[in-house]
Amino acid sequence: MLIRRERNDRSRTRSDCVVPASATVDRRSFLRRSGLGAGGLLALGSLPLASVRKSAAGESTLEIRKNVCTHCSVGCSVRAEVENGVWVRQQPEWDSPINRGTHCAKGASIREIVRAERRLRYPLKLVGGQWQRLSWDQAIDEIGDKMAAVRQQAGPDSVYMIGSAKMTNEAAYLFRKFGAFWGSNSVDHQARICHSTTVAGVANTWGYGAQTNSYNDLRNSKTMVIMGGNPAEAHPISMQHVLAGQEINRANLVVIDPRFTRTAAHATRYIRIRPGTDIPALWGMLWHIFENGWEDKDFIRRRVYGMDEVRKEVAKWIPDEVERVTGIPGDQLKRVAEMLAKEKPATIIWCMGQTQHSVGTANVRACCTVLLATGNVGAPGCGANIFRGHTNVQGATDLGLDVTTLPLYYGLTEGAWRHWARVWDVPYEWLVSRFDGIPSKGGRPARTPKQNMETPGITSTRWFDGALLPADDIDQRSPIRALMVFGHGGNTITRLPEAVKGLGTLDLLVVGDPHPTTFSALDARRDNTYLLPICTSLESDGSRTASNRSLQWGEQIVKPAFESKDDYEAIYLLAKKLGLAEQMFKRIAVDNNRPSSEDILREINRGGWSTGYCGQSPERLKAHMKHQAEFNIVTLRARADAPEVGGDYYGLPWPCWGKPELRHPGSAILYNTDLHVKDGGSTFRARFGVEHNGETLLAEDSYTRDSELVDGYPEFTVAVLKKLGWDEQLTPEERATIERIGGDKVDAVTWATDLSGGIQRVCLEHGVCHYGNGKARANAWNLPDAIPVHREPIYTPRPDLVAKYPTRPDERQFRLPNIGFSVQKAAVERGIAKQFPLILTTGRIVDYEGGGEETRSNPWLAELVQEMFVEINPSDAGARGIKDGQWVWVLGAENQARAKVKALVTDRVGPGVAFMPFHFSGWYQGRDMRGFYPPGADPIVLGECANLVTTYGYDPVTGMQEPKATLCQIQAG
Amino acid sequence: MARMKFLCDSNRCIDCNGCVTACKNEHDVPWGINRRRVVTINDGRPGERSVSMACMHCTEAPCAAVCPVDCFYTTADAVVLHSKDLCIGCGYCFYACPFGAPQYPRAGNFGSRGKMDKCTFCAGGPEPDLSKAEYLKYGRNRLAEGRLPLCAEMCSTKSLLAGDGEIIAQIYRERVHKRGYGAGAWGWQVAYRETVTT
Amino acid sequence: MRSRMAALVLAAILTVGAVPAMAQNNAPSPTGSNPTAQSVTEQQVLEQLGKVKGRGAIPDPKEAVLEQPQGREYQAFHERLLPWIGGIVILGMLIALTVFYLVRGPITLDERPTGVRIKRFTVVERLTHWMTAASFIVLAITGLNYVFGKRLLLPLLGPEAFSVWSQWAKLLHNAFVWSFLLGVLVTAMLWLKDNLPDRYDLEWLREFGGFFSHRHPPARRFNAGQKLVFWSVVIGGGILILSGIVLLFPISSLDINSLQTAQYVHAVFGMMMIAIIIAHIYIGTIGMEGASDAMVSGEVDLAWAKEHHRLWVEEEGARTPDGPQLGRTVPAE
Repeated sequence: MLIRRERNDRSRTRSDCVVPASATVDRRSFLRRSGLGAGGLLALGSLPLASVRKSAAGESTLEIRKNVCTHCSVGCSVRAEVENGVWVRQQPEWDSPINRGTHCAKGASIREIVRAERRLRYPLKLVGGQWQRLSWDQAIDEIGDKMAAVRQQAGPDSVYMIGSAKMTNEAAYLFRKFGAFWGSNSVDHQARICHSTTVAGVANTWGYGAQTNSYNDLRNSKTMVIMGGNPAEAHPISMQHVLAGQEINRANLVVIDPRFTRTAAHATRYIRIRPGTDIPALWGMLWHIFENGWEDKDFIRRRVYGMDEVRKEVAKWIPDEVERVTGIPGDQLKRVAEMLAKEKPATIIWCMGQTQHSVGTANVRACCTVLLATGNVGAPGCGANIFRGHTNVQGATDLGLDVTTLPLYYGLTEGAWRHWARVWDVPYEWLVSRFDGIPSKGGRPARTPKQNMETPGITSTRWFDGALLPADDIDQRSPIRALMVFGHGGNTITRLPEAVKGLGTLDLLVVGDPHPTTFSALDARRDNTYLLPICTSLESDGSRTASNRSLQWGEQIVKPAFESKDDYEAIYLLAKKLGLAEQMFKRIAVDNNRPSSEDILREINRGGWSTGYCGQSPERLKAHMKHQAEFNIVTLRARADAPEVGGDYYGLPWPCWGKPELRHPGSAILYNTDLHVKDGGSTFRARFGVEHNGETLLAEDSYTRDSELVDGYPEFTVAVLKKLGWDEQLTPEERATIERIGGDKVDAVTWATDLSGGIQRVCLEHGVCHYGNGKARANAWNLPDAIPVHREPIYTPRPDLVAKYPTRPDERQFRLPNIGFSVQKAAVERGIAKQFPLILTTGRIVDYEGGGEETRSNPWLAELVQEMFVEINPSDAGARGIKDGQWVWVLGAENQARAKVKALVTDRVGPGVAFMPFHFSGWYQGRDMRGFYPPGADPIVLGECANLVTTYGYDPVTGMQEPKATLCQIQAG
Repeated sequence: MARMKFLCDSNRCIDCNGCVTACKNEHDVPWGINRRRVVTINDGRPGERSVSMACMHCTEAPCAAVCPVDCFYTTADAVVLHSKDLCIGCGYCFYACPFGAPQYPRAGNFGSRGKMDKCTFCAGGPEPDLSKAEYLKYGRNRLAEGRLPLCAEMCSTKSLLAGDGEIIAQIYRERVHKRGYGAGAWGWQVAYRETVTT
Repeated sequence: MRSRMAALVLAAILTVGAVPAMAQNNAPSPTGSNPTAQSVTEQQVLEQLGKVKGRGAIPDPKEAVLEQPQGREYQAFHERLLPWIGGIVILGMLIALTVFYLVRGPITLDERPTGVRIKRFTVVERLTHWMTAASFIVLAITGLNYVFGKRLLLPLLGPEAFSVWSQWAKLLHNAFVWSFLLGVLVTAMLWLKDNLPDRYDLEWLREFGGFFSHRHPPARRFNAGQKLVFWSVVIGGGILILSGIVLLFPISSLDINSLQTAQYVHAVFGMMMIAIIIAHIYIGTIGMEGASDAMVSGEVDLAWAKEHHRLWVEEEGARTPDGPQLGRTVPAE
């Protein structure tokens, strides 16, 4: 029944969808009518409501704080309303050019993780299998003592450190620095299991291993091929840009995936592929391209090296062979190939589907090669749009939480260490002295501390092999004896049963996290286990780098909850206990045990020349967050006359060259030669030399706009500068710094080691790219497979193909033996594919994130997926007598592992393929482990870990695991 | 005067559940009450489409019509609200609602459903606007703040539109025109006795 | 958590069916298809299924129904059709009885009461009857409140008081189901034999019980009219109870449309039963002299018994070797 209302005008805030009418509802008439307006309420009702509201507003202490959602790498801004130090409400942050106020389920519910009732509240210690509370001081004391003891007995390499993709850049950098000061390169984080292969593969192709364009830039695409990614569930806000591009440009959206994903449902073409056969599919596409002469010959001539060798490999992949291996029929790929070549700009988007394989590095390189062949790199709407995982996995990777490098991809060479020794203002020799030597093992030569320092550590995917394998197999003084995990799940690494064994052997386990994590609920240890409550990234300020390389500065929304501390303070306390604080925090102000995040970023700026992390000062980043509304949603650029941020690209996406004062705008699109370098233009890095096998590696007839050098050129050193006579343009201060760095080898100082920034500044003035102007490599001769070759997954359902496409021979990598070949061979000989006939692949669902402890503790999310499940095709289910919603056992091919989950019978997966999300833990082989969690800190929803049943398989370049293609059997339970 | 409506563009909805948790967040909706939900049709097959659904605030709302205690009322913006104080938890509104909007705190055995709760179009309830009592019983009143429902404001792909029916119909029409296809405005025929012609 | 229990129970019972819910063992492989071009529209789904159902995140399968236009039909039934049905049936009955009373008057005894009484109903039978009757009356009034309350009472009481009354009415309605159920079952047990159709029923019905002809067609313990009431109570009451229980435990029915059907059945049968019982009450009180005696004291005057249930008296009399069974003898005074 309609009741007439009076109008009452209210002030309005900006609204995107619709201009609301003066939308107010006067309740007075209803109250009176319903008799509820008796007495006081009626009196209240007689006051004009506007005045009631005003006084309420005047009394509150409502503050607005901006941070970045802590979940995926899209980097949605979170607008928090804080009242009296309590986060009371979230509003859409309309100004953010990346998400424009929108969120997915995780971002829209993120306020809950800060008030979360199920978080770790205070430090805990496991004593005789029981959790005991202790103070931070006690905890740090005991941990420090134990670490020192382990170091003494077994050397610094015996402590394995895992940092977090949810750490801010500053925290990640500190953590890496801590590892360096500790004396070990075994410092890793989620990128290992996520995009480590991307970084290595793509960087080895054209210079940097990051997303070349941006999510927003997808609005310019005419063809988008999503191969091995499910952004509708993993990066929902990216779909805002994908679908906008699809609509605006009537673009092709092609999804190539074993599952008919939620992304595929919006595609204009879906292609089903067998997991682990990406290279044949990509070469299959390239086959059509070469066959029909659709390749961009001009682009190849000018900017690509080694395409001819690719042609040879591609020639083998005729459509019949492609179909035999991948299952993709006939000429379905031809149309896609044509789109890539002709309906440009075209881009390839990928995520774990490409990377999480034993051929991950080769996979991504094949993608890059296809893009290069079709001239789809370095312009709006095209490029390699790599969707990274967690909030700051990009930043944490950049800042060096990686066993193969120091911060900012300097590597582990002597030059790298000396560079950082300079930045850190500690003697290089002292850093060397922190390292152990490696004794001779198994007939392999011993290494000095200096050589050890230049050797990558053990990868996080195999830390437990580093604990369990015979000492003779491990290239360091002693196996892993202690594990320190800050913000990494325990259930996201394959071969969980073996990790459980490994956990049992450790002298010390330290977990620093807002939640207890899987590590606390595995029944693997009874003592010497510490849980340190670290706050979420919303309770911490600092910068985070989104997948498109934009840095966003997040404000601390509220103080850390309960007794949790942020990463900075925790690392500081640990460093202090171990006597490293003075050295570590020389130029970083520490107030009340809490280091200044701004100072840390400034230190990063001072050292971050190689990757262009030098120009993003805290001040500039904060200005960007303040003026988010100034940035264009497609180009991400602010108008030249915008206050404080004029001309900048949003977030100063790296590389942002030179000192902050130079105000380089950042590089929204990498390798774009249509722009001046001062406008963010750039070339392919000339990082592989000037020539190979008699052919030039420098670009031909390709250079950035208005470049003074109109051809390819090598990386800039002082020597090159001198040759061009540009060294005269260095200022005296710059020159002095360079000479101090170079000593008697001044000419060898490079654009990356020049702490003055002078080389970069001068080059920018001349419109040239200081890292050189090279060709991208389709042939990466330093990698195991110089041209990507198809290799069957270790556990393949096609033993008939193993003879022709075996995995790489057994080899030692990252201090351990990689026996993938032997495992694959044994699997074939034992007929594993018959016993375990279903391909098991894993992946994400939209409601949870990563290991899932945090999101499964959020009731608003937990309600949406209350049980772990396995997707199984109806024909496979029918053959096994399995009904939808029934309990089943998923049997893994190794360790006699089995997981008890619910069956989700769906056509989403094809016959012969099963899918499990990897966000669950808390059950173990059918056993509910809830009781092992500290009381009150167990997630709401528990379930089996997918990685219980995943198996051996490691990429030779990065040690990436293979959870995307293994085998299983499913039985009614 | 605005006539408020919801429109979910199923060609953009990716079932991200952002609308669902935004609503939970804004109104502190307890476990078991699902003011908004996303349903996927043809799940896992080509043709799969997802639609976000909450109360549609229908014309001649069936819930209001069948309520034995007449606890519903419609605001000037055509938002259909009800009084939890008067509600007896009989469940008739659930039988009548074509969209399954009414939610009850208890399973309803022995007829003890508890007070019905549903999407309020972020317009609160009969308590005074923006009062604490209103927040505790019905959630936030964004309309009184000059804002729109949070579910639509936070929709990740701008699939869910909320606001003046004329305006969102126009937005949808333009969208369909630009991209060349559109499944239509789900539920409009049943709720508003009209469709969006495209 | 209660709702988790519910979720588990539901999960144990059934599947969240996708549309269409058949085991698609040979669904064609979607590779090479254009999913956007194949996207479903509301019209398609409604034409195919009559409602729109899918898969949702929430375990309760009712939440997986996106749209059931039958809700509008329910609205039409409940707000337009049902009040008319109820009004016509109940008011009609009241009017008919009033007219009957005015025109025909109460059915009186032809003979003078003898003062000799014969036992008609035992204590158990009477208790059962009154328990059932009382339950029914409460159920009827509280039940009618769902339909007519807001039309008739709300304007008198105002929204708040009416809501409180309706809340109690709901609780009473749900509480009295059980005594009604017990009553109907025991009633059925006690009187099933005596209410089986016999050869006198047709004649009794043809003569309309002799109400207008002033005759007394023979009847055994229960005449055809009473048998009609009995069977209405047992069957009608049974249907009311069953449909009511379905509504009382919505968890039992995982489909909104079956809940609606239960409502339709419950409401219509309820109205009909009320009308029938009104007639029963009429005839048992003012409509017939001496009738209430039977169910209140359990005994009736022999003259009354011979007039209305001659054959029963003979059967009862045939029972004892000493002639008709005599109850309390009241000396004629």
